[in-house]
Amino acid sequence: MTALDRLDPRIRQTIAERGFAGLSEAQELAIPEVLAGRHLLLIAPTGTGKTESAMLPVFHGLLSTKSAGFSAIYITPLRALNRDILLRMEWWCAALGLRAGVRHGDTTQAERRRQALHPPDLLITTPESLQALFMGKTLKRHLTGVRYVIVDEVHELAGSKRGAQLSVALERIRTYAGEFQRIGLSATVGNPGEVGRFLCGPHRPCRVVAVPVAKSLDLSVVYAGDRFEAQARCVERALDPSGSNLVFTNTRVTAEALGHALFRRGDIEVHHGSLSREVRIDAEERFKRGELGTLICTSSMELGIDIGHVEHVVQFGSPREVARLVQRVGRAGHRLSAISRGTILATGFDDLLESGVIVRRAMAGELEPVRIPYGAADVLANQVAALAVEHGEIDLAQVRAILGRTAVFPEPDPLLERVVAEMAGHRLLRVEGDRLVTTARARRYLMGNLSMIHDERKVQVFDLASRRTVGTLDESFVVGTIDPGSVFITKGQLWRVLEVEEGRITVEPARRAKGELPSWEGEQIPVPFAVAREVGGLRRTRRIGDYIGSRRAIHYAEHVLDEMDRNRSVIPTDRTITLENAEEGVVCNICAGHRANEVIARVLSLLLSARYGTSVGIEIDAYRCLLRLPKSLGAADVQETLLSLDPAHIRGLLEIGLKRTALYKWKLVQVAKKFGAIDPDADYERISIHRLSDLFDRTVVQQETYRELFEEYMDVESAVEIVSAVHAGTIEVVTTQVSLLGASGLFSSRDLVPPESADTAILATVKRRIDDSEVVLCCMNCRRWKQKTRVSRVEERPQCPVCSARLIAALKPWDEPLYAVANRKTKSPEDREVEKRLLRNANIVLSSGKKAVIALSGRGVGPEHASRILGTLAEGDQFYRQILKAERQYIQTRHFW
Amino acid sequence: MLHAPPGADPDRMRIEFLEQGPATLVVNRERTLVVADLHFGIESDLARHGWHFSSRSLERLHRVTDLVDRFRPDRLLLLGDVKQSVPFTTRQEWRELPEVLAAFRARAPLLVVPGNHDPGIERLLRPEELAERTGVVVDGVGYLHGHTLPAPCLAGLLVLVGHHHPLAAIQDEVGCAVRTPAYLVGELDGPCLGLPPAGRPTRVLFTPAFNELAGYDVQRIVTAPFSPVSRCLKRETVEVLLADGTLLGPIEALAPPDRGGGEVSAG
Repeated sequence: MTALDRLDPRIRQTIAERGFAGLSEAQELAIPEVLAGRHLLLIAPTGTGKTESAMLPVFHGLLSTKSAGFSAIYITPLRALNRDILLRMEWWCAALGLRAGVRHGDTTQAERRRQALHPPDLLITTPESLQALFMGKTLKRHLTGVRYVIVDEVHELAGSKRGAQLSVALERIRTYAGEFQRIGLSATVGNPGEVGRFLCGPHRPCRVVAVPVAKSLDLSVVYAGDRFEAQARCVERALDPSGSNLVFTNTRVTAEALGHALFRRGDIEVHHGSLSREVRIDAEERFKRGELGTLICTSSMELGIDIGHVEHVVQFGSPREVARLVQRVGRAGHRLSAISRGTILATGFDDLLESGVIVRRAMAGELEPVRIPYGAADVLANQVAALAVEHGEIDLAQVRAILGRTAVFPEPDPLLERVVAEMAGHRLLRVEGDRLVTTARARRYLMGNLSMIHDERKVQVFDLASRRTVGTLDESFVVGTIDPGSVFITKGQLWRVLEVEEGRITVEPARRAKGELPSWEGEQIPVPFAVAREVGGLRRTRRIGDYIGSRRAIHYAEHVLDEMDRNRSVIPTDRTITLENAEEGVVCNICAGHRANEVIARVLSLLLSARYGTSVGIEIDAYRCLLRLPKSLGAADVQETLLSLDPAHIRGLLEIGLKRTALYKWKLVQVAKKFGAIDPDADYERISIHRLSDLFDRTVVQQETYRELFEEYMDVESAVEIVSAVHAGTIEVVTTQVSLLGASGLFSSRDLVPPESADTAILATVKRRIDDSEVVLCCMNCRRWKQKTRVSRVEERPQCPVCSARLIAALKPWDEPLYAVANRKTKSPEDREVEKRLLRNANIVLSSGKKAVIALSGRGVGPEHASRILGTLAEGDQFYRQILKAERQYIQTRHFW
Repeated sequence: MLHAPPGADPDRMRIEFLEQGPATLVVNRERTLVVADLHFGIESDLARHGWHFSSRSLERLHRVTDLVDRFRPDRLLLLGDVKQSVPFTTRQEWRELPEVLAAFRARAPLLVVPGNHDPGIERLLRPEELAERTGVVVDGVGYLHGHTLPAPCLAGLLVLVGHHHPLAAIQDEVGCAVRTPAYLVGELDGPCLGLPPAGRPTRVLFTPAFNELAGYDVQRIVTAPFSPVSRCLKRETVEVLLADGTLLGPIEALAPPDRGGGEVSAG
């Protein structure tokens, strides 16, 4: 008996009406599993009838037994997908006499009321709207009928806190409905078993059915040139003349720029998340009808929105991840069993090699695992609050039982206890013995935090010079890092902050990269460690032809490597790290990917900042990091620091040092918001942020911030691997001058690591002040020369231009009249005293030169103090510290006041 | 003796900068420990504006009493904004403040110069503990919270002022190294404030907030003044000190060297 034969005759008839020739491979494999009542994770490329694979047997179940309330819930991560699924499901349901309804943020009040009164058999919703169902009395009752939950694009959800929240929500449904059948629909992932456990929890068996995608891929890489105009022309050449092209870019900005460059063709539209819903839907519809030949899109098109047949997928720039490439190219060739054709247009040397490596890995089926967030404390906090509101009061044992059934919190304690204590502190719940009781704040908190997505208020960046808005920044980022006077980067330009007011930062263009603060241009897709290592290997073996077919691309890559050879530059590979002295600092070329480089760069900067007391700016990409250092530090210092770094200390160092960085503060604010410690509409003017990070010391909020940073932003394990290999000698470290490869980075993340103590900065400030202060030099030999100047301009051994003597007194500007007093023909005893002091002053300058002038320029430092300071023979910073000490004593006394 | 007339022995006067407060110890004929802007009860006010922290009052209280125990002043002078909420006194404040003030009193005679956040505080103080809002002269030095015009008796003196919560951002060659509580010192324009001529300039010392949640950039205090005192500050005389008394220099010394400079370099 085929899968088709086992379905209800009404369904078979509807399939025929729909015009299906037969069942697809995915459907043949999945339908029997679902009919048998098993939990199922179905992994198949988009367009293989995945939705129907799940829904046909579900319809079969719904037709054979009716139940009250929502019988099946279909969850998708995107509202746009809901609409698409709804159209299809409405058609099926209408034909089968079932009712389908959709519920998400845009659903009208009237529709919501209708759903409460007459629950549809099939409810299509998002994880966030699902959360809201638990807050309504009637809706909760309708949950008792749930027999099927289908999670679409489960690979997308599983890797995020939204997914972790959803997995708790599924167990909350179980409280009402008892066990129900779970069906996950997923794109190809590296760890299907783990994603299956995520869907079903650790204790339920989950069948995984996978339809392979790699065998049907046809991938090629070409080099698109380094100038944008050439790249745009290359995109145009790559388009299939018959139409139906999808062009994927990694950022919205690139999508817009390409759209602008190709606009004159008239058959191209841009599609990304910042565009309004109407514009997007219009583009989708026109593409589907064949009126548009090409859609230029971002990840907005990765998920399975139905846009009809796609002939060819063009990926602009490296896709960064294997899974991403497979998913994007999987959009092409939608007719069953057709080949999916994709072309990557590489835009530079790193990009080209990386694309080649990703293609090889895609063909070999080496996809990245989905990184499931286990034990995310803010998700736990959110769901504990949700449970308290849902039940009014609830036994901790019951909370434990619900959480324990999920894959993300299999053993909720001791985290649960810490989270409950923290939330009780924020008055989000009360603890009465073993029961949790809801509070007035909890419901308000929940209404503002149904979603685990950081729905950030954006702060406008307004350029005073051009009087226009140049962009927006995440509010959490602004709160953590931006103050008047600070410099940051956005849109590739430097800006100095003039003023921060509610909802707006006023800036002016800044000239120099000095004093630069972090930039966030949205979160970038990190290149995985394994990909970056393989790229390093390819740089070493130079067997480009093994990876890339295009002759022009091979020629370009070889040309870059030859150029490096000609300049006698050392090529950084998987076995060689080069540390290059550059204008702005030291470029560390390490083929380790974003996350491991983030760790290495931060640890190096922490150690350098601790050792030399300076701030260190860092910029990172997959193959290098730039450490911005003071001029006095170079590659040799970085090498010494790297070689003396004990890999076992890396994580500990980061935990201590991260606290002072912008990245930490930014994440901390986000996590604190999800904990209800900071309201979504908190008034930032109320608080001075210089101590913000201290306020959460040793709390579970801090713990979660670290967890997220270490899980999502940093790959300590891989960094340890690299540093250990350096120690073992399997990776050599070379210091050299900046090379073509080192200078070519396009850095994607920036931060500043300030030193533990501001000692160096304070000394620098004081040096600046003294250098800039005025001094009057006067000759105590001929008594006929004086000159007002600045300390910085005084020569090493000041000399009188009139009599050539070096007996020069250095006076503060307000002491200038004393020179005349000392030169009086007839002197009172006081005048003689003055003359004696000036002579003493000049004698010190005679013996110690400019150093004496500097000491004498200290506030309240007279000849006595100055000779004491010079007598200590202190040099450099120690010398200035002596001046500071003398000034501090003076400032305490009435002479200053 | 409280409310001492000016004319203390000038050679004996010292000001000690207590970084661990931050607080100031003024030593003349007597020893006066000056603590500005405690803002007890700030947590419940912050909660109304979206920030939910547990109360740090106890830690703050201990920080003050430790200073009193260590420096044994003849009086503890609270330079305004002892409490947070205006115009009402919150439950947190009614609960915490009497105990806080009692703990202070048990250690040293108390004098409060009321600030803009202090209406109603007189009900928690003894009459001799309450000074004028427009400032008071104690042991030859003037004290003023800073939200009002100063009383004429402050003319020609050194006046310690709270209210402004100064905070300095210090930069090194690479970037901003630290943000730290700071003092601002400078001369006041007497006529601008309606002060009588005094024969010598009136100098003002803006003291940092003791409350660790408060802070306001020193540059903005000067460039965007928001109080009578800061508006009548002679800008060219202003200098920045750190909480331990280190003289940083004029405001301009805080800015990185390239600020507004004519140098052009690739960046």
